[in-house]
Amino acid sequence: MNKIRITIVTAFGFAGLGLLLWATAPSGQVVNAAEIALSPRPEPDPAVGREAYRDSCARCHGETGAGDGWDAAKMFPRPRNLAEGIFKFRTTESGTPPTDEDLFHTITHGLPGSRMPDFSRLPEELRWQLVYYVKSLSPVFESDQPVPIDLGSDPGPGRADLAKGKAVYEMLQCAACHGVEGRADGPSAPTLVDNWGNPIRAANLTQGWTYRSGAEAKDIVARLLTGLDGTPMPSYNGAVPVEDAWQLAHYIRSLQVQAEFSDRIRAARTDGPLPADPADPAWGKAPQARVLLSANLYKEREVLPVSVTSVGIQALYNGSEVALRLNWDDPDNSTDPVPDAAAVAFMPDRRMKWELGSLRAWPPAPDAPKLDWLRWQSREQSSAVHAAGQWAVVLKRPLAGSGENGAQIGRDAGGRPTLIGVMVWNGGNGETGRHRSNSIWLDLSLD
Amino acid sequence: MKSFLKAAQLLILSLFLAIGGVDLTALAMGRQEPPTQAERTGAAVASVPAAEAATTGSGTLTGKVTLSGKAPAGDKLKMNADPVCLQAHSHEVMAQAAQVNDNGALPYVFVSITEGVSGSHPAPGDPVVLNQVGCMYEPHVFGMQAGQKVEIRNSDSTLHNVNCQAQVNKKFNIAQPVKGMKTDKVFDKAEKAIPFKCNVHPWMQAYGFVVDHPFFAVTGADGSFTISGLPAGTYTVEAWHETFGSAAQKVTVADGESKSLDFTLKAS
Repeated sequence: MNKIRITIVTAFGFAGLGLLLWATAPSGQVVNAAEIALSPRPEPDPAVGREAYRDSCARCHGETGAGDGWDAAKMFPRPRNLAEGIFKFRTTESGTPPTDEDLFHTITHGLPGSRMPDFSRLPEELRWQLVYYVKSLSPVFESDQPVPIDLGSDPGPGRADLAKGKAVYEMLQCAACHGVEGRADGPSAPTLVDNWGNPIRAANLTQGWTYRSGAEAKDIVARLLTGLDGTPMPSYNGAVPVEDAWQLAHYIRSLQVQAEFSDRIRAARTDGPLPADPADPAWGKAPQARVLLSANLYKEREVLPVSVTSVGIQALYNGSEVALRLNWDDPDNSTDPVPDAAAVAFMPDRRMKWELGSLRAWPPAPDAPKLDWLRWQSREQSSAVHAAGQWAVVLKRPLAGSGENGAQIGRDAGGRPTLIGVMVWNGGNGETGRHRSNSIWLDLSLD
Repeated sequence: MKSFLKAAQLLILSLFLAIGGVDLTALAMGRQEPPTQAERTGAAVASVPAAEAATTGSGTLTGKVTLSGKAPAGDKLKMNADPVCLQAHSHEVMAQAAQVNDNGALPYVFVSITEGVSGSHPAPGDPVVLNQVGCMYEPHVFGMQAGQKVEIRNSDSTLHNVNCQAQVNKKFNIAQPVKGMKTDKVFDKAEKAIPFKCNVHPWMQAYGFVVDHPFFAVTGADGSFTISGLPAGTYTVEAWHETFGSAAQKVTVADGESKSLDFTLKAS
């Protein structure tokens, strides 16, 4: 009884200490304090761990952890082979296993940009049992010890020196893979393979929402210094002073675009002709909506991976026309094996619901008005610029619909804005036809 | 200034004394035989009893590895992605993976004794150097003794990552972004053909062998190799090539004998 009370008191004591640290420490320390505040870990119970693993993990990672669960085939990236004992997300030296806390972190927070969900809804005790069970699946945890590395401490964004961070980015030659502006368009990016010989993409550093294990400065420092085992990303531990690693991390933070996604595009009014050039300063007047895209096509239960995960959309209109400026990240402008392409579908009548995936009207109706389209592809280089791993393309059409199916741009009889859908094909990734990135239906309104 | 000179004098004097001290000890122990490899390289001399010197002998194996059949056409390496690599070479660079020289001579074959070696073979103190020069590994195929230090160097003004995909020993993947960077690693356990790769320059590939003894060699441009210092005995000798496979032979070597042992690998 006494023992239990002591444990409780200790736990509260730690929690209190955590709060105290949280209140007094600079921002970079908060996470450490939060870790101190975790309640004590349970004793390993293999039976409980096995059951929790079967419930939450085996579906993708497989019964034995070999990464061959029955859902594994339709995933990209593939679920990790836990039995092999190679882990990307660690705070330990390259080639050493992760700490228990590292595994707990991955289970708790998931891996954004992959299909690994966060399991924060599971009781903390069960997550620890999963940690112990996952460790039992690979002999690596018996043969090797984790070697934690010094991750230093955050100077805080207020004391970040972005010019210094940029110099570190250049010194460490991050651009060889991640590109000069971080859009994964470096000269070595197209040839990257993982340790199993499968092609692998460098991370697009401007898209924080696709970072697998957190996009904060502390996460970037950890990934830089430990490397991502099994991938081309090496450990820079010892190759850069840890203070410089933090400056680099804050610089990379400054490359991230705001992950505020929208499904509403507001066209700005302008006088005179609409700009055809994506670099025209007139575009400065049009607010940009950042729209999330997702993979459209599954083939034999496998998702066909796409590389374009978001598109920025601006719109300008005058008395007779509307112009849309789309920009999206694509490391190359090659037309091999097929050209890059984009299309905007205009819904002629909001009462019909076209499915953007299958391009069928719903409910099915043979007399449903057809979609209106604006199409672009990279063999026609007019009104398009590719620079630093990014396409910018301008598409124009009249406000008035033409023909019996023409979509009129502006508000319908019910006062509702026009619906548009955006699609992007990365030709370098072999995307064509239904293999593409889709938006959902978006509102386009005229200001 | 004067006191500084005096201090320097003292330092030099004590250095001489220290070096002299080692020599005196050696003389006092009355050793006449030539120093073993471990002694030459300064490895833990004191901990190696004199009796262990018997594990090296005076037998020698020499031979040549050749390829039979039609040699494949060589691949030209495309280094366009990195101007630093491109400018490091005045000639076209051919892939080493299937390089065959005149009369079928096969370079980059790792020849080692896989059975028959006994006794203790402490790792030499000298490190093995794995250099990155002109965006190529030097050497392309190399051996090291278990426990021997490997110094990995970047001699290029460009980023290399060294992705070591060992199976028995510890894997690692480290960055060397700056020219002149060095990293020391130690491989503790015997292991064949550990791949070293650079993901930034995907044509870069090396193979390292960790061996429990010093009886190994890599064939030169003419396909020849020499393994010396062998104690008398019967051994299995294996020749390994990254593309053309491996072959093994048994051989008996007497004290002082120089035996010839050739290998022929087949082009598939």
